[in-house]
Amino acid sequence: MAGLIYNELLVITGRWRSYIGFIGISLLMPLILWGFSVGGEELHQDYTKELGGTFMVVGTIINSFLATYIIMNALWIHIPFLITLAAGDSVAADGANGIFRITLTRSVSRFKILVSKLLASYIYTAALLIFCAFWSLGIGSIVLGTGDLIVIDNGILILDESRAWIRMALSFSLAILVMCMVATLCFMFSTMVNNAVGPIIGTMFLIIISYMIIGIPLEIFEKIEPYVFVKYFNVWWDAFKDPIPWSEIVKKLSVLGVYTVSCFGIAVYVFLKKDIKS
Amino acid sequence: MILETRHLTKSFGTRKAVDALNLEIPDGSVYGFLGPNGSGKSTTIRMMTALISPDEGEVFIQGKSVQSFGNDALGQVGALIEKPDFYKHLSGKTNLEMLARMDGIDSSGIQPVLERTGLGARGNDKVKTYSQGMKQRLGIAQALLSKPKLLILDEPTNGLDPQGMKEVRDLIGELSSEGITIFISSHLLDEVQKICSHVAMISFGKLITAGKMEDLLTESDLLTTEVQVDNLDTAIQLLSTRDWVHRCDIVDGVLRVGISLDNIPQMIQILTENKIKVSTIIPKTSLEDLYLSKLGTESQI
Repeated sequence: MAGLIYNELLVITGRWRSYIGFIGISLLMPLILWGFSVGGEELHQDYTKELGGTFMVVGTIINSFLATYIIMNALWIHIPFLITLAAGDSVAADGANGIFRITLTRSVSRFKILVSKLLASYIYTAALLIFCAFWSLGIGSIVLGTGDLIVIDNGILILDESRAWIRMALSFSLAILVMCMVATLCFMFSTMVNNAVGPIIGTMFLIIISYMIIGIPLEIFEKIEPYVFVKYFNVWWDAFKDPIPWSEIVKKLSVLGVYTVSCFGIAVYVFLKKDIKS
Repeated sequence: MILETRHLTKSFGTRKAVDALNLEIPDGSVYGFLGPNGSGKSTTIRMMTALISPDEGEVFIQGKSVQSFGNDALGQVGALIEKPDFYKHLSGKTNLEMLARMDGIDSSGIQPVLERTGLGARGNDKVKTYSQGMKQRLGIAQALLSKPKLLILDEPTNGLDPQGMKEVRDLIGELSSEGITIFISSHLLDEVQKICSHVAMISFGKLITAGKMEDLLTESDLLTTEVQVDNLDTAIQLLSTRDWVHRCDIVDGVLRVGISLDNIPQMIQILTENKIKVSTIIPKTSLEDLYLSKLGTESQI
């Protein structure tokens, strides 16, 4: 299996499309960090205004942790798109390019090939988010420095630097798991068609529609809201609550897990039954 | 039998692409698989290699059912299905390394198969820089990678120049002499006649005839007789109007007449009565004649 995953990673790293996400992050992050460094005072004032007279803030609350926290909020819709660029290609491109005529006539099973492709997509997904973390936390620490993380969400949570690092690691880990669900969804679409654009459009369409459903305050939509997967995407946010709501995290991950397994199950069924005619 | 199909059937919509096809491919043979475009050759080959699932019937490779054992049954099979496609952004060698990893074999066999298919010096170049002929050779190289006992080749000389076609023909001969069974589909009847020991013909998904090449050609009474005469134009005018003349044309200054063995004396009589001097008559049986007699007109090829 390791050899098959290595094969898939060779394919992913050999395609220029796979680097769009990394290039995008490399262009966007310096801009955002620069924005924080020059416009941080304004944000600092907004934050301290919300804190009211309760706290006396010495120095600045603007640091790489707060910047990362805000960036994660802002990029939440866009990261799935970057992930679908690789996951969408995974199966569909091999079908479209006739590669399956070579690979599926060998003694290795279709199931193993499919699993290796999915795992390679997960590795790509994790790499993209780790790269994001490298910029916002790594380079961000150099540009903006570190310090306490102040989170205002139904109250105020102040995390000292050592705890902030741990919470950030937890948050990114949860974000990776969520994005793996997105990758699996896109992967499922990828088994159904013979072009890479379809799965990308299909996945993004579903995510956007789902966000609209949970955003519109209508009773009919509220009824189906618990079954809409994007409702559980915010599980990464739970890493910044105190105490950490582990049961809530497990519940959200379980729901996303059911979606992931279902999408993978459908992908397996479709791929194993698929006639390779092209 | 190294490869066997039993009652193999596949439909696409209402069209039956392959209809209850029974084939038996003996161990060590070079088996030609012929049929007009759309006759079901590719669908049959795809069912043999687990790319398409049959609606009915089974394919057995060394007694193992492809439908029951899936890709496990393809352990000793090398296949080249239609035009070979690879990851164009990777080198030929990297593509083969990936396939070697899939086969669970070490990469020491890669350079020899590249050399054998004439790609030894170009292995490190990206596939996107390869000509169609080179891709075809790489396709054959990947089929040989796992040292197969059975090679399934679908139009292996597609895109090759005459020299390349001869090299592939020679390679097939070499592989056959090493004991590898080769199942080959091709439109080039002359090629098939040169290299195959057995042949099967299908039309509309149904088996028309199958057996040893020699037996089938002997059984056929359709001959392409080469006739050398002193007046080609008159001879062709005299013969082409006869209903027992299957075809009549001039190739390299020689009259080629498609007739049955029984009609040869009649032909000689007509030519001599019309004061045409006949110097030689060489009756020949070709696969093309057999093909046309079994499957109809030339336009179907």
